[in-house]
Amino acid sequence: MQAVREFILDRNPKLDKLDDDLDLIDSRAINSLAFVEFIFLLEELTGESIDPEELDLDDFRTLNAIGARFLKQKAAS
Amino acid sequence: MAVREIEPIELELDRLEHMAESGYYNPYTLFDWPDAIEPDLPWMSESLTTLAGTPMWDELTREQQIALTKYEAINFFSLNIHGIRELMSEVVMRIHERTYANVSEFLHHFIGEENEHMWFFAQFCLRYGGKLYPAQPSLQADSVEHLSPVARELVVFARILIFEEIVDHYNAYMATDESLPHIAREINRVHHQDESRHVAFGRMIFTNLLGQVAKRDPAEVPLVAEYLENYLRYSIATLYNPAAYRDAGIPDALALRRRALEHPARHAAHERILKRTRSFLTKAGVGRELVK
Repeated sequence: MQAVREFILDRNPKLDKLDDDLDLIDSRAINSLAFVEFIFLLEELTGESIDPEELDLDDFRTLNAIGARFLKQKAAS
Repeated sequence: MAVREIEPIELELDRLEHMAESGYYNPYTLFDWPDAIEPDLPWMSESLTTLAGTPMWDELTREQQIALTKYEAINFFSLNIHGIRELMSEVVMRIHERTYANVSEFLHHFIGEENEHMWFFAQFCLRYGGKLYPAQPSLQADSVEHLSPVARELVVFARILIFEEIVDHYNAYMATDESLPHIAREINRVHHQDESRHVAFGRMIFTNLLGQVAKRDPAEVPLVAEYLENYLRYSIATLYNPAAYRDAGIPDALALRRRALEHPARHAAHERILKRTRSFLTKAGVGRELVK
């Protein structure tokens, strides 16, 4: 999760803290141009590939959602 | 779309319209499609692949190198197809708006030609590669919400222009690369020919809309410059598709992509690809030097 936080904070220098419930998409912390890189980062962290035609935006909306969908799932398996 | 806040676009397009009419061709009969591509030939110029100039290219077997040219050609043409889908839908929505009444004639040529380009790029990918790569995901909440309506309008045409200029860098080189199969060279050549008109138009409409942005609020110009710089970087990064590396049988695709994007030889290649566009943006007064 640290790498995910760093990715977002690096791109948002004005953001001094990152709540786990912040809507990353509506707040534009992750914008369209950064989204593809963000998906590649998650793929690299989890070793899972994410199909761009199948993805559900709600899985990416908050740090909590990302953790539940991508990172804990990996830790539990 | 809030085009009411935008002044009507007036451009001198007679010459471009005349060229579009006199150079009109039937794309569906123009090409002589061979049954297959010669197995040992690269599908795109080796010097234009995303690993060119790095040790990562030299570490590949010859088979992997040829496979990489194949899958990066499919990626390049797929990016073209998705880029055309996006720009066509934007232009179609504007073609009979009052703001665009004076350029509507040229926009008809533009959409028609883009549709034809999309067809021949897809033909190439599907006939010889059996697939297209999917479009990159995009977000509803876009990256331009902080801009005024006229600046957003500028961004629509700037994206089209930047996309076309980057693609044209590749097309112009591959149009005369004798190492490529004839059909690959031809597609690049024909596209390069049409795109020179589209780039000329794109620069004219960009200059007009940028003038409108600067007139309304000069302080917004650096914000547009920042968006465009991010868009240039984003566009370059889309050329590095991990799926193409995987399909070429290269392991650790994501790590390889990261290493390649950071490599100094690739930074130099990106500067070459973007040179013409950057110099245009700087001359227009909206270059990266405005970005803080």
